Amino acid sequence: MPQSSNTAPTAPLNGVRIVEMGQLIAIPWAMKMLGDMGAQVIRMESCQRLESYRGDSVYLNDISGEFWNRGANFYEQNRNKLGITLDLNSDDGLSILRQLVSISDVFVENFTPRVIKNFKLEYEDLRIIRPDIIMVSSTGYGYSGPWSGFGATGPATEGASGLAYTSGYADGPPAMPEIPYTDYTAGEHTVYGVMAALMHRLRTGQGQFIDISQTQTASATVPEALMDFAVNGRIQPRMGNQHMSKAPHGCYPCQGDDRWIAIAVGDDDQWQSLCGALGQEGWAEDSRFSLGLTRWDNRLDLDALVAVETCKWDAHDLMSQLQAQGVPAGAVLDSKDLLFDPHLMERGFYEVVSHHPSTNIPPLPYASRPWKLLGTPAVAGNAAPLMGEHNNLVLGELLCRSDEQLAELERQGVIGYAPVSPRPVQRPPLDEQVRQGRMQRFEADFQEKVSKAYPPAVERK
Amino acid sequence: MPPGALEGVKVLDLTHHIAGPYCTKLLADFGADVVKVERVEGDPARRFAPFFHDEVGPDNGLLFLYLNTNKQGVTLNLKTRQGIDMVKELVRDSDVLVENFAPRIMPSLGLDYQSLSDINPSLVMVSISNFGQTGPYRDYKADDIVEYALGGLMYIFGSYDREPLKHALHQAQFKAGTNAASATLMALYHQRLTGRGQHVDLSIQESIASALRDVVNNYTNTGAVRRRQPNHSGDLTRIRQTSDGHILPNPGMGLGLDWQVVVDFLDAPELDGEKFNTPSARLANAEELGEILDRIFISKNKYDMYIAANEKRFTYGVIQSPKEVLADEQLKHRGFFVEIDHPIVGPLTYPGAPFLMHGTPWDVRSTAPTLGQHNSAVFVGRLGIAVEELPRLRESEVI
Repeated sequence: MPQSSNTAPTAPLNGVRIVEMGQLIAIPWAMKMLGDMGAQVIRMESCQRLESYRGDSVYLNDISGEFWNRGANFYEQNRNKLGITLDLNSDDGLSILRQLVSISDVFVENFTPRVIKNFKLEYEDLRIIRPDIIMVSSTGYGYSGPWSGFGATGPATEGASGLAYTSGYADGPPAMPEIPYTDYTAGEHTVYGVMAALMHRLRTGQGQFIDISQTQTASATVPEALMDFAVNGRIQPRMGNQHMSKAPHGCYPCQGDDRWIAIAVGDDDQWQSLCGALGQEGWAEDSRFSLGLTRWDNRLDLDALVAVETCKWDAHDLMSQLQAQGVPAGAVLDSKDLLFDPHLMERGFYEVVSHHPSTNIPPLPYASRPWKLLGTPAVAGNAAPLMGEHNNLVLGELLCRSDEQLAELERQGVIGYAPVSPRPVQRPPLDEQVRQGRMQRFEADFQEKVSKAYPPAVERK
Repeated sequence: MPPGALEGVKVLDLTHHIAGPYCTKLLADFGADVVKVERVEGDPARRFAPFFHDEVGPDNGLLFLYLNTNKQGVTLNLKTRQGIDMVKELVRDSDVLVENFAPRIMPSLGLDYQSLSDINPSLVMVSISNFGQTGPYRDYKADDIVEYALGGLMYIFGSYDREPLKHALHQAQFKAGTNAASATLMALYHQRLTGRGQHVDLSIQESIASALRDVVNNYTNTGAVRRRQPNHSGDLTRIRQTSDGHILPNPGMGLGLDWQVVVDFLDAPELDGEKFNTPSARLANAEELGEILDRIFISKNKYDMYIAANEKRFTYGVIQSPKEVLADEQLKHRGFFVEIDHPIVGPLTYPGAPFLMHGTPWDVRSTAPTLGQHNSAVFVGRLGIAVEELPRLRESEVI
């Protein structure tokens, strides 16, 4: 098999073949996780309609040349996949995809239902060519229903789910983090759904259709708010970082530019420890703060007092100090802090992946997975594919197309190695982004720092 | 109802609070046979707000009711020798054990993976913890906000010049629970093929840190450190207030935006012209653009605009309150909310299937257990303890 040379023999999903027609995060991230655990993921993309993340932020912010093979966000979502290109508007392209499905276990996609219906790639179509196929459609609002035809981004589903409304500063509008958060919520549930379907298939031989509404997966994670309204008719006001019963509970400023610490005091012992660590034994005697309930009632006063003291500390020093005394506290980590965090480094959370020589991207560390299966480790990370990188491997070796047939497919534009009409996103220069406040800072010597902390692992095969 | 996808999978659930119970809820709701072991005083989550009609009680916690559907509930005192022995007996014929104690607890009870694996070599043991089973933060304490901070999600959440934010409620726990359920099935898939069990180490911090898109790769690719965005960034997709709430405009998928289409759709001639018709012009005039957009949206009805935009294939989003989510026609069509009749609190509306598995549907077979509800069924029926023994076990505070 194509992956046998670099797949540890014990990876739990060895032997599972997945065909992915994904874009952006919701499906690609989920399939990366399954690929990491040994599944063979064949990612199909189009030269006619370039994947957005191939043209997004790129290595060294340089959009010259084959920028589509240097997209950081593309690499982030597509590790451990084989990459092929197919034009589904051609009969040959569609029949190659169908042939691929006929020898696969799982077919996944996250386009609007209109696209899948147009190409006749619905579950009912695919089960004719592969009766036990597991098919996943991941859409913003679900495959059926009055909103099923609507496209969606992560922020749209975060808004529809009830999560965004509930979050935000106490005096402000609904708020979301600056990543498409619920794409990941959907992706996480997709990994689970595929695994449940694989378990069922292993036992019964039956495939099935899994219909993922990204909104629904997110709504399933805010039951407190939804049931409070359904049962008690209540909508809680937004509370920022405040907790329903704990205080102090918040994010407090520390020394330096935009440095912060999160502190969550859960009981009287932790409160006493906090007072001691901040050198404010007087607070411990203050009747306003003596009980959990009174601390909560006076939480705004308390937050103001705590913030004055935390300002005198380095965030990491204060975290160590508080944790040593059993107080839940965490420095608010930025991009660089994460990468150099001693705990994540010791756990090997960021894994070094080598890139194709033609990209001129050095080996770089990438976030791995939230789990460690101690008996069946993940496979060694292979970088996301170049456009069409595995056309020959998949169409040639797996689907038995001859070199002449491949050349003919390329001549007709059914397969290809570059976008037909490349149109990169214009990126403002980094110093300009810092000036505008879009970036906190930028460090010129980052390459040296990254390669020193994360030396290349094994050479890419 | 056809059988669930995980029919025949036996799970021993030693979890409490949220992350562990959401993991085992996902397993139970899709067909696994889950026995939830609670301490004698009950899972502390029984006392998490909000409550049914605001009445505090062990079976009134709405979050607890939601997180524990389809589970059998027993009580065991793990501070007694016999309690530990009974856990070990249950391990004998379980496929999976899930726990989310602090990492030092299970070994201190003699329930470390090696000991349990000696009893049942095919056991999949899943340990969910704040920072994982190893590393310098292993014994650090945390709740959701600390996970947000150390997971890297907080720094990019909130206003540019204010303190970073976390989501409301308990997102870090739900993320970790979902990931734990996936990892459980990966290990179980391997067990079904090879007969071999293993230990799974699931970190809540890493659940956040593995889902951050470009936070770290901005640094590794360019040396830039992302932060929360300024209020006026020329960003057309920022949340805007409408007459009746909030909407999330998004005039396209980024590439090749035709500005005239935006101007026409918003019926806003003041946006016409060179001041705003290129990305760099919009950036240069971001503040003025923001003010005009605020003025346009404030007079609109969010649903009218959301539907009109989507019919033109602009991927607008709508910010829905819990009340609006409950009334949402789309979720109604999907049958998302279900009514579950609990013996103590009666019929209540719950969020239902997170996704639809057409061959093996999500299903509610039983409600969250009352404290010790299945002691007799499990201890007598499965462990073969004599019925007469139960009162004695209760007296000696084992159950």
